[in-house]
Amino acid sequence: MYTLSFDFLRQYYPMLLQGAGVTLLLTVCSLALGFLLGIIVAIMRRSSSKIFRAIGAVWVEVLRNTPFLVQLFFFYYGLPELGINTNPILTGIIALSVNISAANCEVIRSGLMAVKNGYYECAYALGYSKFQTLRYFILPISLRIAFRPLTNNFINLVLNSSATFSITIVELMGSAKIISAYTSRPFEIYIIILVGYCIFTFVLSFISKYVDKRIAINL
Amino acid sequence: MQAFEKYRSLRLLDSLQFLRGIGVTLEVTLLSIAIGTFIGIILGIIRCSKNKAVSSLPLIYIEPLRNSPLVTQLFLVYYGIPMITNWMPSAFTCAVLTLSLNTGAFFAVLVNNSIKAIPQGQWEAGYALGHGKTSVFIHFIVPQAFRLLIPQAVTLYIGQLQCSSYVALISLIDLTKTGETISLRTMMPFVCWGIVFALYFIISFPLSKLAQYLEKKNEFAY
Amino acid sequence: MIEVKNITKSFGDLTVLKNFTVNFKEEGVTVILGPSGTGKSTLLRCINGLENIDSGDILVDGLSVNDKKNLRHIRLNCGMVFQQTVLFPHLDVMHNMTVSPIKLLKLSKKEAEERAEFYLNKVGLISKKKSRHNELSGGEQQRIAIARALMMNPKALLLDEVTSALDPEMSSEVLNILEKLAADGVCMLAVTHEMSFAKKVASRILFLDKGSLVCDEPVERFFRETRNENERISRFLNFIGE
Repeated sequence: MYTLSFDFLRQYYPMLLQGAGVTLLLTVCSLALGFLLGIIVAIMRRSSSKIFRAIGAVWVEVLRNTPFLVQLFFFYYGLPELGINTNPILTGIIALSVNISAANCEVIRSGLMAVKNGYYECAYALGYSKFQTLRYFILPISLRIAFRPLTNNFINLVLNSSATFSITIVELMGSAKIISAYTSRPFEIYIIILVGYCIFTFVLSFISKYVDKRIAINL
Repeated sequence: MQAFEKYRSLRLLDSLQFLRGIGVTLEVTLLSIAIGTFIGIILGIIRCSKNKAVSSLPLIYIEPLRNSPLVTQLFLVYYGIPMITNWMPSAFTCAVLTLSLNTGAFFAVLVNNSIKAIPQGQWEAGYALGHGKTSVFIHFIVPQAFRLLIPQAVTLYIGQLQCSSYVALISLIDLTKTGETISLRTMMPFVCWGIVFALYFIISFPLSKLAQYLEKKNEFAY
Repeated sequence: MIEVKNITKSFGDLTVLKNFTVNFKEEGVTVILGPSGTGKSTLLRCINGLENIDSGDILVDGLSVNDKKNLRHIRLNCGMVFQQTVLFPHLDVMHNMTVSPIKLLKLSKKEAEERAEFYLNKVGLISKKKSRHNELSGGEQQRIAIARALMMNPKALLLDEVTSALDPEMSSEVLNILEKLAADGVCMLAVTHEMSFAKKVASRILFLDKGSLVCDEPVERFFRETRNENERISRFLNFIGE
């Protein structure tokens, strides 16, 4: 009979913490970059130019219909072939942000669509330019509408980031893999990080619910 | 020129390998979404129970699976189960097992949401006509919930197809693993990953268009 | 046929019906009047067993709503139509009408369809039998909902503000149908704000305020005398422009 033992944690917990730190770095950087990309692509998809709209549509469809892991490998092995040399962490951040940008774009786009024409007309009538209207009225309103789904995307980003160990990044999952090799206690270590991810995402969604209540507006 | 020749002679064999990869990917995906859908329907209906204790019971299963990475779940099953039991499941079994459980968790939420999305008035209209709870559920709620569910289910299935690529990490030779193997051998990562990219896209793009179409078509304006 | 015995119903701290007692016979049209939020709709929903009552009892045909086993019989005897039109969106008009008689009254498909056609003729919508709810106007949907309730041959129809979600033109469409049904002798219990309907069709008026019965009288007396005798009622009637 196998007995569970978590004794190895005493020796290896700094490694796990370090891994969690790398996960945090990856996700926070990709969050910011992916958010920015998402807004840009969303505005492209709403633009009056056919070419912009087409680029936006292709961007979203390709990213949504291919696995993250393949995108990750594509960047990791493909970029050097194009002569772009990066380190794994940067590749990871790029892949994660590009991947999340598609989902962000769709969420922001439906936020934009939820803002009725009346708001545009109202702002134009007050003398605001097109850009000012977007900057001061439309985006703030749509981003509030999109807040909840955006945080869901962020949770997905955190979960997806665990795949980046496959391009040699030692984030939470990567460190778990190493510890499992050292200690031969895979069950315990994977259970621990599974629970760790759960706690992390629970906290995130709790915060997002709280913030959403504060900023919610009903159109 | 020599390098080119070498690549050309490999092409036929490679395409066969890619085909086999697609086969494994589809096999894992289809099996696990079938099992997962079954699990999800049962848990989703339990989730709709009026009794709080009963309805929150499936959360013990659903939440950990939805809130942790599939990769971790795969590793837990693949490396963990042989450690704590005498059972040594193959990579394929582990992949199907994990993906099924994972799909089940997500599907349960879809089922629950679709049923809850039917307005209370529909239940009451059924009751007022003299139907019992089960009769209202079967004749009025299920057909409506089903139409709401279908496009979301297709979207989930596409997601699970893509998630199935993670099984490559427990060395099951699916489409992704095939891509990796061939790209390492031919040293043409850009082309190889491009092919894998395209293959996944070709499978899932029509499905996602179908989901969009169904969503528009099945919408009810109450 | 319907005996409401001393019922109390509250939602949280708000008591909607307080020690409420009233009887309905199986005849004529009773109109229930009163300001908003005085428990008129709740009364109908309690009779139909859609709300649990806190205390007291309601007997329909001698069967208590407190016993869940009776609910089916009670609901088959009291057809109900709601303020918000509720057709089943996944079924066309004909199936909306026939599904319940087939499943609950064990009618054959043919019988059910014949009966449906009879009632569709009655509400003047036989041409719409293949339509879906989104191809019908609000008034048409409400007429179908009335016909659908009649399909079960109920002894009484409970009408919960069936015209208040409709614009005037459509609501007069619906009221005309109700008038016709009343002339055919269908027993109705209607919560409404349509005074002209009450005057023309009702035989009895109940006036509710703050969860209790203020008056229960024949329609002639209500509009001729009671409205001048009772200050609360006259204020209400003046307020809604009667």
